[in-house]
Amino acid sequence: MKNPVTSIKETSARYKTLDAQDKKRFWVDGILNNAIYIILVIFLIYTYTKNPLIVSPSAIVNLLTLVAANLPMALGIGGCIVLTGTDLSAGRIVGLTAGLSAALLQGASAANKYFENLGEPGIGMVLLVLLLVLVIGGLVGMVNGFFVARFQLHPFIVTLATQMIVYGACLIFYNSNGNNGQPISGLSQAFRNFVTGSILPKFGGLAIPNYVLYAIVVFIIMWFVWNKTTFGKNMFAVGSNPEAANVSGVNVFFTTMMVHTLAGVTYGYTGLIESARIASNVANTGTNYESDAIAACVIGGVSFVGGTGTVGGVLLGVVLLRIIYVCLQFLSVDQNLQYVIKGAIILLACSIDMRKYLTRK
Amino acid sequence: MNKKKLVSLFLAAVMVCAMASCGSGGTETTAAETTAAETEAATEAGSGAETEAPETTGGEAAGEAFTPKVGVFYYSFADAFISSVRAELDAALTEAGIEYQNYDGNSSQATQNESITTALSSGTNLLLVNLVDTASVDAATTIIEQAEAAGAKVIFFNRAVEGDDQEGQVLNAYETVAFVGTDAPEAGHLQGQMIGEYLTENFDTVDLNGDGKISYAMFMGQVGNVEAIYRTQYSVEDAVTVLAEAGHGTADDPALVYFNPDNTDKYQADQQGNWSAQAAMEYMQTNLSQYSEANGNMIELIICNNDNMAEGAIQALQNAGYNNGEGTTTIPVFGVDATESAKGLIAAGSMTGTVEQSATGMADALLGMVQNVAAGETMDAAVEAVVGTNAELYSVSEAVANKLYVAYSAYTGE
Repeated sequence: MKNPVTSIKETSARYKTLDAQDKKRFWVDGILNNAIYIILVIFLIYTYTKNPLIVSPSAIVNLLTLVAANLPMALGIGGCIVLTGTDLSAGRIVGLTAGLSAALLQGASAANKYFENLGEPGIGMVLLVLLLVLVIGGLVGMVNGFFVARFQLHPFIVTLATQMIVYGACLIFYNSNGNNGQPISGLSQAFRNFVTGSILPKFGGLAIPNYVLYAIVVFIIMWFVWNKTTFGKNMFAVGSNPEAANVSGVNVFFTTMMVHTLAGVTYGYTGLIESARIASNVANTGTNYESDAIAACVIGGVSFVGGTGTVGGVLLGVVLLRIIYVCLQFLSVDQNLQYVIKGAIILLACSIDMRKYLTRK
Repeated sequence: MNKKKLVSLFLAAVMVCAMASCGSGGTETTAAETTAAETEAATEAGSGAETEAPETTGGEAAGEAFTPKVGVFYYSFADAFISSVRAELDAALTEAGIEYQNYDGNSSQATQNESITTALSSGTNLLLVNLVDTASVDAATTIIEQAEAAGAKVIFFNRAVEGDDQEGQVLNAYETVAFVGTDAPEAGHLQGQMIGEYLTENFDTVDLNGDGKISYAMFMGQVGNVEAIYRTQYSVEDAVTVLAEAGHGTADDPALVYFNPDNTDKYQADQQGNWSAQAAMEYMQTNLSQYSEANGNMIELIICNNDNMAEGAIQALQNAGYNNGEGTTTIPVFGVDATESAKGLIAAGSMTGTVEQSATGMADALLGMVQNVAAGETMDAAVEAVVGTNAELYSVSEAVANKLYVAYSAYTGE
């Protein structure tokens, strides 16, 4: 990273040498390239003038928790997009792992117990289930990755197929053991404390749930993986040009498979968190989660063209989507218009993203 | 070469087996038909109309008895209540020895229509349809006409085929159709009644800021779904009426007001249309970040279109330190469906009330209809026969003779 002060000095020195036309272009480009940030700030200021509570501690904690809930999945799916792919199975994997976590971690006195022989789970059991869902998520991701890498199938098709398979499994699961599709809830205290309890210091007198902390940990891990490991570098190499990567000795098959596996692990993790965060799990839990995650990645500059994107960008995308959500609530915007606004922002963000790519060409 | 031959041989064998099993299924069914009265006694609640010798009181429309091959088209396998109906109906049909096949509409009318076309072409002669697009006369008519062309009969269930203002438009127009379900507005009315009564009794406890108004939040399952619309509308309207009668506010100046005066919708809806706990939970959490007791504008009552959303709202409340049983302030939360977990929450004191719809009652009524229709009864006569088995639970619509209502009941855990 360059020192920001020197980089500003350099930019201003360069700016002085430009002629009038180039100066104009400098500003236009600057505005367009940072449009997302500008939109974000305008949106926040506008909301603030209408409803100052948007900057209250409780609103900030609320935003934090909403971002923390979506971030891990977006980071997982981001890897698939870097490989010019996508992942449609994400939401259903969350549904399955959320159901499994809930069923395994119900309290001893839950109203409709899925596994009647299980007693009151302790923290050890919670960690064990966490491991289990990470493995399950990872396995489905690995299957996705295998078919994408081995048969050169587009991830859209592969994950569309696994989405259905996982959903089927999820429906079977919810209808088995005498559950008849009933929601699985009545979660144990240990599980709820693990996810929604708070060990972080309070912010403005408000408890910050643990999953915010976990999301930070996931973010740091993913930042490390993307930026500091050979695997991360390989991922970008395969994303920008698989043939070139192959020629330069990158194992394209392994990289593709691992990116999908890693994505699957984040879905498994999200499943466990969602299970306790929402506390009522049905077969539909997680439906369409991937759409928000994909949108967040694209808004954050992870291009469908492949090979570009940053972990910070994904975070920004998630934050932007969540700020839109919160602001629209604080502004009491008409429900129907909310779709329009959200859609327009995604479209705008994608266009700006493509524009950058086109000028680079 | 050899491999290919083997594969085709295998496929042929599979097909033969499948056909054979179909055939044997058919004969089984006829055998079961005759013992239907016996198995009937075994199915609980003595419901589902005994298969008496078909009285041809229905007039000329009464047809001949036939062996039913039933196709059951559910709007979504993921719905909790529908899953309960499916489990009950599967058990009932299997026990009665009736051949059937389930289809998942996956919340898409197009998918459902395609499965219906396929089922009809494979010889299904009795369709039980849980319409995806509620109260869509066109969707219903399309299905009926397809079925008629194939000589099959249609029994719609659970989700309305016509709006209240269109009553009879579909059901009166065809003789080979019937409807088994609930009166769509009834859940809303019952919920409103229950809320009104609860508030009348506990007005001062619920009115946290003591301003003489109860501010409520409303979580809607799906924009544009008739049942969601009715529930959203009537739960509030009826509660206001009950409160006005008890001296709290009037119809023009209601004692029940939406918590956010700027929101002209007066509801927050699941944008994915999934009636999901997640949507309610995130809305409620966001609401709680600006509406609190400290600000003197706390949400004092929560009304949800279904129990799943109620559970989501309760989760947000619990995270904010409410509804955790004794020693904490309880914001009353009302839902619809009476799922097992909602009943658990009501027992624990975290939830206040829900509206129960009997999955067993629905399944038994459907089985009764299937058996009567297969015995050659007209739809009207079949409905009458089923209602006769349990007059408390079932009733016939006043305007339409082939519309059977399964009653809702309020559930507060008492």
